[in-house]
Amino acid sequence: MRRLTLLAAAALVLAATPACKRQTAKVETIENEQPQLASAVSAGDPAHAVQFVQGFYDIEQGSWRWTRGKFSITLQAPAGAAQKGAALELKFSLPEAVVKKVGPVALSAVFDGNPLPPEKYDKDGEHVFQRDIPAGLFRGPSVNIEFSLDKFLAAGAVEERELGIIVQSAALMAK
Amino acid sequence: MSRSRFSALWLAASLFCLWLYWPGMKAWFQQDDFAWLGLGLHVHTPAELLNALFAPKAQGTIRPWSERAFFMSFFALFGLDALPYRILVFATQLANLGLLIAIARRVTGSTMAAALAPLFWTANSALGLPMSWTSAYNQILCATFLLGAFYCLLRWIESGSWRWYAAQWTVFLLGFGALEINVVYPAIAAAYALLASRRHFLHTLPLFAASGAYALLHRALAPGTREGPYAMRFDGSILSTLATYWYGGFGSMRLASLEVPPWLSALGLAAPWILSLAMALFLGLRLRRGQWAVLWPLAWFLAVIGPVLPLRDHISDYYNAIPTLGLALLGGWAFTAAWNAHLAGKAAAVFCAALYLATSAPVARATVRYNFERSRAVRDLVLGVARAHEIHPGKVILLNGVGTDRFWAGMNDKPFRLLGIDDVWLTPGSENTIQAFPALGDVSQFVYPAAATLRALRQKQAVVYEAGGPRLRNVTQTYANMAPLRLKATLPGHIDAGNPAFAEQLGDGWYPAEGGYRWMAKRASLRLGVASSTGLRLFLKGFCPATQLSKGPLHLQIFIDGQVYPPVTVSRPDEEFSFSFTLPAVLKNKDFVEVVLEVDRTVVPPADGRELGLAFGNFALRRL
Repeated sequence: MRRLTLLAAAALVLAATPACKRQTAKVETIENEQPQLASAVSAGDPAHAVQFVQGFYDIEQGSWRWTRGKFSITLQAPAGAAQKGAALELKFSLPEAVVKKVGPVALSAVFDGNPLPPEKYDKDGEHVFQRDIPAGLFRGPSVNIEFSLDKFLAAGAVEERELGIIVQSAALMAK
Repeated sequence: MSRSRFSALWLAASLFCLWLYWPGMKAWFQQDDFAWLGLGLHVHTPAELLNALFAPKAQGTIRPWSERAFFMSFFALFGLDALPYRILVFATQLANLGLLIAIARRVTGSTMAAALAPLFWTANSALGLPMSWTSAYNQILCATFLLGAFYCLLRWIESGSWRWYAAQWTVFLLGFGALEINVVYPAIAAAYALLASRRHFLHTLPLFAASGAYALLHRALAPGTREGPYAMRFDGSILSTLATYWYGGFGSMRLASLEVPPWLSALGLAAPWILSLAMALFLGLRLRRGQWAVLWPLAWFLAVIGPVLPLRDHISDYYNAIPTLGLALLGGWAFTAAWNAHLAGKAAAVFCAALYLATSAPVARATVRYNFERSRAVRDLVLGVARAHEIHPGKVILLNGVGTDRFWAGMNDKPFRLLGIDDVWLTPGSENTIQAFPALGDVSQFVYPAAATLRALRQKQAVVYEAGGPRLRNVTQTYANMAPLRLKATLPGHIDAGNPAFAEQLGDGWYPAEGGYRWMAKRASLRLGVASSTGLRLFLKGFCPATQLSKGPLHLQIFIDGQVYPPVTVSRPDEEFSFSFTLPAVLKNKDFVEVVLEVDRTVVPPADGRELGLAFGNFALRRL
């Protein structure tokens, strides 16, 4: 009985050791915002995350993000784009699991409300979706590009999430 | 066993426990922790305190020692400093190891078995979660009461002193405040008496009366559910659930999901079979000699796992945390017997112990590591928001890019209110990339309306933080630049009536928001956005003060899209009420639905002067 009491007392003493209220630790935020959008964004960079507007899941392995069937990105128009146009580039991987399950996939994009020609991909692996954007489509300092896939993995097909492609980066490059 | 030997064994077991679960000591809070931490926020009177401590909560749980009193008192003392909470969890577990050593020595008669049992139990991966998530402290503390009561029983049998018998009763009865599983203690005590000390058997029977009374009381206070994951199913599935827990009881079930060499992964799959066979061999040999006491650790496992076996749809690894204590004791006993037999026995014993430790301990470590990292990500989010609130006082904080895991672990249980911060929301559209878990909650309830977002940004009343990285990043200006492009001012499918941000969805008949609610007059209307008009149901929640019911129950008539629904009755004073209604199959408008509420009676409090109907908190459209 004595040993049991001692054991209970030891537990209580251990628990009471930090009995003075410590100040809750502080976690600093990053406040020095770059107010200008970037023309080239990396999916793995948290600083660019806000430009991956919709249809993107969390950053994985610090370098890429899964998309849903529809996703959109906002980019800053590069200098001189309103005069010379620019080149749009989306780097992504088409996972084997997607091709196996749904077959070839077509990727379409709408650039600030203007549809761009779609492209079909029938092999898994790394791809780059590239389009020349005429100067006339740049009407403001930034543009919104809405992408959509004709086929993707519906939620529950492989995992609970709806899955499209794996995006690494997107950019608008000056000509 | 001498005191010094006991101390040495306890120290060894404790050091092993501290080494294996050390990340758990540094873990922060997550998920349910925040609900428990917030329990005391609304306690102002002794009656409220009693209610907070003892009223049945989720799934009918009443656990004052391990959850309510623990969290409430520690939050009052230490706030959101997680270390003291973790120290208590570890201290309790170290006490458990001491009790297990003392018990194993008495039950098996072997010091070696007494040394091995706590090591084997510690290495079991079922302890991973309780050792790294504070809300699972109930498992650790329940083990203390079960072990404590049983230790007293052994001392009573040993000494004949009725003081120990009385101590057993005291510890047993107090154990009901830790976890409902305590109800099985009489079976553990009776099984031991039956198998090892029959003349004491009759004295264990009164314990069943206490458990029976507790079971009846619990059933009366918290009737079981017939649907959902907590529905109890008394059919053949009990056996398959038992098989799952038995297989999982060897701790290696999740090894294949870790990054380990394929051979180790294969060993992990085979380990439960090999170890079961070894145990069966040991039991067979001992039973042939009439040593029935060897069945007692098995009885412990079956008794403690028994109550969760009908939960076919809610199998959790950590439910094995206390039952596996029996398997660990049996393992230590079997090891000792084999070690003392002959050379082949020694080899077999070492092989089995190594197999078990190599396949279970890595899973335990991975579990504790996962919870540590998850809780730290939650800490960075919650304390980051606290810092943002400090820098931008009075502004609405919008979080962009909160992922699935961070949302469910760190936002769903509303941790920010613990810091006195109410206006923290997800940016519109965030809900699309957070995986839905309807059983846990509704993500859309946390999304700030698009129209209110645009307005708040315009008026510089909101700040936006990107929460995708390890630290919150202020992206207000960038987001504000993009917001007109990305946000359509559509109506949300939910209304937080107590929040002014949702005011534009409310029509006539509403008073200003107050205290998280909003009073309606006799008749009031509102609009909810409809993304897809099929299979939707309207859920509403409110609060009814006793004054509204002084003349009897209130009847609430509801009109959805012009269609009249049968009235519902609000009759419980000073309580929240909730109702749900299926929407008409075809709606007049494709973007929104109009809801009108009307009560049959209002009250005009003399000091207030307003005509008050009912107070509402939330309205939400959800899929059936």
